[in-house]
Amino acid sequence: MSLTLTVDGPRWRAHLEQVAAANPGLVPVAKGNGYGFTLGRLARRTQWLAERGHDVRALAVGTYDELPEVAQRWAGDLLVLTPWRPWVPLPDAATSRRLVHTVSRLCDLRELLHADPAARVVLERMTSMRRHGMAARELWEAGDLLRKHPGARVEGLALHLPLGQGTHLGEVTRLVNDFVAAEIPTRGVPQVWVSHLTDAELTTLRTQYGDFAIRPRIGTGLWLGDRGALRVTATVLDVHPVERGDAFGYRGRTAPKSGHVLVVSGGTAHGIGLEAPTGEQSIKARAATLARGGLDAVGFVRSPYAIDGKQRLFAEPPHMQASMLFVPHGARVPEVGEDVDVRVRYTATAFDRVVVTD
Amino acid sequence: MPSVRPISPTEHRDHLATLPSASFLQTPGWARVKSEWRSESLGWFDDAGQQVGVALVLYRKLPKLNRYLAYLPEGPVIDWSSDDLGSWLDPMVRHLRTQGAFAVRIGPPVVTRRWTTAQVKDGIADPAVRLLGQIPPAERTPAGARVVAQLHELGWRHQGVEGGFAAGQPQFVFQIPLRAADGTPRSEDDVLKGMNQLWRRNIKKAAKEGVEVTRGGRDDLAAFHELYVHTAQRDHFTPRPLRYFETMYDALSADAPERFTLWLARHDGDLVASTIAIRVGEHAWYSYGASSTEKREVRGSNAIQWAMIRDAIAAGAAVYDLRGITETLDADDPHVGLIQFKVGTGGEAVEYAGEWDLPVNRALYKAFQLYLQRRG
Repeated sequence: MSLTLTVDGPRWRAHLEQVAAANPGLVPVAKGNGYGFTLGRLARRTQWLAERGHDVRALAVGTYDELPEVAQRWAGDLLVLTPWRPWVPLPDAATSRRLVHTVSRLCDLRELLHADPAARVVLERMTSMRRHGMAARELWEAGDLLRKHPGARVEGLALHLPLGQGTHLGEVTRLVNDFVAAEIPTRGVPQVWVSHLTDAELTTLRTQYGDFAIRPRIGTGLWLGDRGALRVTATVLDVHPVERGDAFGYRGRTAPKSGHVLVVSGGTAHGIGLEAPTGEQSIKARAATLARGGLDAVGFVRSPYAIDGKQRLFAEPPHMQASMLFVPHGARVPEVGEDVDVRVRYTATAFDRVVVTD
Repeated sequence: MPSVRPISPTEHRDHLATLPSASFLQTPGWARVKSEWRSESLGWFDDAGQQVGVALVLYRKLPKLNRYLAYLPEGPVIDWSSDDLGSWLDPMVRHLRTQGAFAVRIGPPVVTRRWTTAQVKDGIADPAVRLLGQIPPAERTPAGARVVAQLHELGWRHQGVEGGFAAGQPQFVFQIPLRAADGTPRSEDDVLKGMNQLWRRNIKKAAKEGVEVTRGGRDDLAAFHELYVHTAQRDHFTPRPLRYFETMYDALSADAPERFTLWLARHDGDLVASTIAIRVGEHAWYSYGASSTEKREVRGSNAIQWAMIRDAIAAGAAVYDLRGITETLDADDPHVGLIQFKVGTGGEAVEYAGEWDLPVNRALYKAFQLYLQRRG
């Protein structure tokens, strides 16, 4: 009766271990909908990786509000990726010892150290992405400030790099140089917390900065890196034969030709039929988006549901928890209770059930 | 903001005399050594009219055009610890533009990284390590990092070590610190103990064989030059003419008598090694060296180096500088032998901030870079 994510457990876990082994100092990222798996499950899986002996000491969440979901299921350090702001209340003492704040403004650093003189922080340096982060000179001032706060614990430098397109090494070198220039007092080896670097870039970085610990933050590549281990299915809830001209659905549409209307699980509540921007910029991708919108006006829209490997059309826009599909005459009609495949974006889908096979 | 104006060679020399040290490439004498280029002495002056900085600019003319690359090797000599380098560099660039510069090249005399002898040796021994930069340095200097950060901020462009205009000045050098971490001078004994066994043995052997190391005068430059041409043939590099060294002798000695020293190592009357040492204040350089192919077993090269090091210690120098090393630590690279020779002295590999360009006329600068690429 539900939209289900089925995970090939052995294959998925092998992939997680392989990523962890290839990335010492790995910081798994669990944020948002937990990449479809839920935050709690990812926290437990992170704990499992650490217990299997992998060098995983911190788990990253997106926001402070996500902390309660993971704090009990994972025993190590917690990093919040969204920079701390003065209106964010500080957690209880037990959590705060494990918590590493991302600090992206000098004024925030001052306020945070005032609120918690023993706060653990990573200092975010602005990258070419221009989202959050300090400028070089702000970082220098942060160094001055931190030298006056010996209780504070700086874990290192945080960099959020843009995706893809050429190498980031030149930029990283410049940004790490700014960290050196700031003379930030760190306990032990300073760390560079970084995302979106290729394996080759990470290897080069590790050689060039052997006096730093490189902490790759990985979400998609870790949890969703082996798509073959994942399968999303919906259940056929009802099947109705229709003739050309028969009316059906909320909006009393008429069938364009004879066939079957299927009612399948999964609707807007799960994110079905809600388009999430893919960020694709090619003319073709943008034309496809336009075409999908256009189809909606004149007839049926392609759905993410596939029967026998063929994607079927929505008979009408998805409902809250179910969708109606049109299967034209001549195609095999699935039975009620049968599972059909669904292609979804994992980060934008709320599954009813996640089944991990043993 | 300091102001910049041309000064006389005398003002230039007098200001340098107030400093602990500066690169010899920034002395007024060096302008006369590089006489094929137009040169200019520049002074920085604070609001009270006090001189606070100095530079030697070499103007290198573009072929067929009345435009110049303004080159300040290992300079300018300003307060590089300033958090506001723009206020030092901007007035300089404005002045150089009026002189027809299409681009400015500087070499901040600021250390960015250091590696110990042990680290360099391990790097050479490790087949996975090909470059010095692949070894975590013993130190990354915040002062150097601040200079690098500010130059990026001000739009200067770092020039790669490979290729580039006339090879430029080396970014990596090997130096023997002659002062301990607390600033006290190191003794000859202490420096000798820092050398590897081979070096110590060779120094001892040269003494036992009766190698005599003496200082030479201008007349001895001919003997140096003959051996230097011999060395050039053996080691496959193009020698400079005798005239070049005579000019260097005259020009640098005119600035200060201790600046240029010719050293000669003889065995039974045969010249087995000869070198040129340069010293500006607390900084002593090993600049040029020549050695015979015969009688290598008497270890003239080690003896002459040791004499120069002892002389630097006696003069109160803080650093004995063996000048450039390539960044390579590849055991198969022909340059590695030179590094190994220098590493034996027990000093440290030092990286400077390197050379940086500021294009003043972007179109000409681009054309100039293309010209260099084509020239190969």
